[in-house]
Amino acid sequence: MALSYDIDELVRTGRGEIDRRIYSDQEIFELEIKQIFGRAWLFLCHESQIRQQGDFFESVIGRDNVLVVRQKDGGIKGLLNTCAHRGNAVCRAEEGNAKSFLCTYHGWSYGIDGKLTGVPGYRDFYGPEFDKSTTGLGEVAQISSYKGFIFATLDADAPSLENFLGPTGRLGIDLLAERGEMEAVPGVQKFIVDCNWKFALDNLFDWYHPQVTHVSAFASGALGGPPPPSADPQTEGSLDMTGVQMESGADLAVPVGNITGRPFDQIVILGEFGHGIGGPSASSMGNPEFNRAWREDPRVRNILGPVGVRVAGHPSIFPTTWLTTSNQLSLRIPRSPNETEIWWFTFVDRNAPEESRRNSVSRANRIFGPSGLLEQDDGENWSQSTKQTYGLASRKIPNLLHMGLGRGQIIKEDGLARIETTTNEHAQLWTYHSWAQWLKGTSWDDLRQATTPGDVL
Amino acid sequence: MAMEAVNTVTQDQIAEMVRQFGVERFYYDEAALLDAHRYEDWLALFSEDTFYFMPLRRTRMQRELDKEFTKPGEMAFFDDTKAQLAGRISKLLTGRSWSEDPPSRTRHLITNVRIVEDDGSELSVESNFHLYRTRLKSEETSWIGSRRDVLRREGGSYLIAKRTILLEQTVLLSRNLSNFF
Repeated sequence: MALSYDIDELVRTGRGEIDRRIYSDQEIFELEIKQIFGRAWLFLCHESQIRQQGDFFESVIGRDNVLVVRQKDGGIKGLLNTCAHRGNAVCRAEEGNAKSFLCTYHGWSYGIDGKLTGVPGYRDFYGPEFDKSTTGLGEVAQISSYKGFIFATLDADAPSLENFLGPTGRLGIDLLAERGEMEAVPGVQKFIVDCNWKFALDNLFDWYHPQVTHVSAFASGALGGPPPPSADPQTEGSLDMTGVQMESGADLAVPVGNITGRPFDQIVILGEFGHGIGGPSASSMGNPEFNRAWREDPRVRNILGPVGVRVAGHPSIFPTTWLTTSNQLSLRIPRSPNETEIWWFTFVDRNAPEESRRNSVSRANRIFGPSGLLEQDDGENWSQSTKQTYGLASRKIPNLLHMGLGRGQIIKEDGLARIETTTNEHAQLWTYHSWAQWLKGTSWDDLRQATTPGDVL
Repeated sequence: MAMEAVNTVTQDQIAEMVRQFGVERFYYDEAALLDAHRYEDWLALFSEDTFYFMPLRRTRMQRELDKEFTKPGEMAFFDDTKAQLAGRISKLLTGRSWSEDPPSRTRHLITNVRIVEDDGSELSVESNFHLYRTRLKSEETSWIGSRRDVLRREGGSYLIAKRTILLEQTVLLSRNLSNFF
């Protein structure tokens, strides 16, 4: 597919400028589905969601609906939810336990391994010239799990999952998986935001917005814990808010808290294929973790490594998987250029005391998701940002990701490429830089090379 | 003839009608507070030990419908104590709660009110709702569902001691839930 655009012009990494057409152009969206979602390893669900033989969870790869099914031998298959006969979905439930999958159109039925087991009127209408044994449900090209997190890809040539994740992606998962014997809490929040998926994606690295977008959650103390120390913009160490006024003319009062109203130390990890981690260092006051004891475990310190153990930001597995600094994982699933489905999975240590598990779930329910004290204010930003990219004049203005541009010295150590800094836009810019490389559809080797961090960003 | 019909109404039936009238009036007053954005007055209708819960709902096969809704302790859209509801309201009242400024226009329609149990101190009440919301220039949301309430008799009126909201959606078809049900 020849694109009407020069991809390198869409993301000008050296200037920190993004062409707004990438958020609403149908042609670019189709290319994303092909070159990114048709190739990348994508998170489908967690092994604890399908413990028993026949347990299934329907997930998504691009526009393909995939049934992740626990097999008789304990293995896992990723079956395309489409009948080999005429394409109808063979499973209509989001999750459950099945002995077989029946197509309700003509009655072809399949085992949980995807093999065709029954065809109504086989002897009457088909006969032996139709070999049932070679017909079955389609499958993903590769499926694998890392520490219980199941991923799949439609590309048989893709590198192994571990290789695709690389040190950055693996660290991102380790930062959640190593907090205990983690299992998924029943129930995945799912909701639709009228925005381009990339706005929902790049926001996960954005530690510049909470103090403004989420000012009401912080200023009201609704997030729990002690009230913020001060709402006085003159407080020592507070942020420069000169000239920042609300439409009433009043100064926008931003409370000074752990991640609001003042700079704090951050570490950005840039990984191959566009993975990244961005946010506070573990020792910074911006570290939002409620429980930090798990980091002190020598076994965990050893797994995370000397750099990883210092990281407390938000990991992103390119393209759509966000693991939070708390205990959650979110997918930002593209449905159309201006429609994104957001899913939230939540994890707890199955050996943690009941009260602690209950608190983790309650906190997750209150912070993110559509009713979350934080995320209820995000969607309108993304929606309005997407809408403006349809304007002939408005879409000619580039989006800016130039905060700290050229000041990000990249330190390579322990297999990771990192920048030590304060609030910045490095990880977002890295995401878009990598996005452009994916769009080119080059070989895996070339893609890896083009998404290997240099010396400065 | 008409007089005879009236005469056959028992005292119990009259008491039942008065109780039904009181519960419905309580719900209409509650809806009016929400639609007028009088959130603190609305919060006062809840008991101190209240639990405000909107579970997630999942498309399941008929034989697994008992697992359609998540339970308390699992993932949910609302999972709030009174203090946590109060937190949501104080957020709305900061004047900087952007997803509600300009405020959403809402209308709560409450119907099909059925008192299913009454132990003298508490009533179990089921009702249907239609919460209609518009935002900004052209955004429209329609939420329909049912509420399962425990209403506690208190000083001639009621306190909501528990509310479970069952939405007729699995994937939520809106970008947020910045309103109350």
